[in-house]
Amino acid sequence: MKYTTFNQQPTDFMVEPMFFGNPVNVARYDQQKHAIFEKLIEKQISFFWRPEEVDVSKDRMDFQSLSEAEKHIFISNLKYQTLLDSVQGRSPNIALLPIVSLPELETWIETWSFFETIHSRSYTHILRNLFTDPSHVFDDIIANDEIKRRAADISKYYDALIFATQLWQTQGEGTHVVDGETHVINMRELKKKLYLCMNSVNALEAIRFYVSFACTFAFAERKLMEGNSKIIRLIARDENLHLTSTQHILNLWAKGKDDPEMAEIAAECEEEAREIFLNAVQQEKEWAHYLFANGSMIGLNEDILCQYVEYIANQRMAAIGLGQPFDVSSNPLPWMNNYLNSDNVQVAPQESEISSYLVGQIDSEVSADDFDEFEL
Amino acid sequence: MTTPTKGRMIRLSDGSAFSSSKDTILEDLEENNVTLEYHCREGFCGACRCKLISGEVDYTIDPLAFIDDDEILPCCTIPLTDIMLDI
Ligand code: FES
Ligand SMILES: [Fe+2]
Ligand SMILES: [Fe+2]
Repeated sequence: MKYTTFNQQPTDFMVEPMFFGNPVNVARYDQQKHAIFEKLIEKQISFFWRPEEVDVSKDRMDFQSLSEAEKHIFISNLKYQTLLDSVQGRSPNIALLPIVSLPELETWIETWSFFETIHSRSYTHILRNLFTDPSHVFDDIIANDEIKRRAADISKYYDALIFATQLWQTQGEGTHVVDGETHVINMRELKKKLYLCMNSVNALEAIRFYVSFACTFAFAERKLMEGNSKIIRLIARDENLHLTSTQHILNLWAKGKDDPEMAEIAAECEEEAREIFLNAVQQEKEWAHYLFANGSMIGLNEDILCQYVEYIANQRMAAIGLGQPFDVSSNPLPWMNNYLNSDNVQVAPQESEISSYLVGQIDSEVSADDFDEFEL
Repeated sequence: MTTPTKGRMIRLSDGSAFSSSKDTILEDLEENNVTLEYHCREGFCGACRCKLISGEVDYTIDPLAFIDDDEILPCCTIPLTDIMLDI
């Protein structure tokens, strides 16, 4: 079915599925099939922040005092996060907007992606402060094998969905040969690709950031790189919200509350979904190994970080009905929660110079009701 | 939120029990040295999710996190009756 930017057919959004129904026409939020997405938009907008609001200038001196092993940990994590947000800043838009069928979900996807671009811009803000010319850090992201391997796994489900959607929207269902390769395009296949892609995004936001977050907050526990930590806390708060959105999508499908065919696919592909998650867990553990290859940092080592990944994975897998495959019952890094707590994000401005004046004010003053009349 | 909700019994599956006195069930658990996972403490991340075995709770804010029908978010709920949690 050809994509149209304004579907001229009258559409009742209350009976459309989230994806692969009729294309959206009027961006209206007066009727919502799944009101949760409108609430997520409101919450996300209330979190608005700008990297420039956070003063990272003290970090430059801290960075000079780090050991070589610690510098490797710090910079490698920023590279990996830069990769993750590069992908997330464009992919939900490109992969999901052409097939979305609900206005509130369409706007959620755009809002979500927009915040990923704030994350991306914040890495430049952090690195510009540390290096007069940070280009070697960015250049290494597409040269570094450890990062490239992860990039391939992260982007492949998106790419498969995007390509299949393009074939379907230009040539329709059927068997198509492109560059000598045969592709079978039908709705079931498209929906399967969507399902796997959503699981991969869910796993990405559920666990892929957490090794890096743990290192950042371990530095902050030692009062080091606190400007950076402030930014990462704002990012972590956004990521928790993004994760909630894909958990809702996956659960709406699995529980038959949206497209009944997606419920069948969810049951059929459960093993594959689990594999996607477990593979991400494995890669994060390998990442911890790579980080500490030149030496550990105070307060963290490879072992404890791997346990933390398993602990977080248990929680996040349980949330989407994949059980708790790992044997870790208590949080091996309990201090992490103090940094993931959204109350603590708005500390007094003098504490680390966040002009979170703006951030704090918005957050405390906006209640869900304030957005009752909200329209874009 | 108009019902007085302090002084309700919060029972846990290990048999321990205490009465509510704080602004959220999570704070009551912490007050009584029960460790429960949390991240946001604002109802949008789901980290604190747990099963409500019996009783009724009320939400202090509109929760955004995904929860199953038999689950609650202790970071943004108060007990309306005596409750039992699967912790
Ligand atoms: S701590 Fe985030 S929902 Fe309760
Ligand atoms: Fe992000
Ligand atoms: Fe994200």
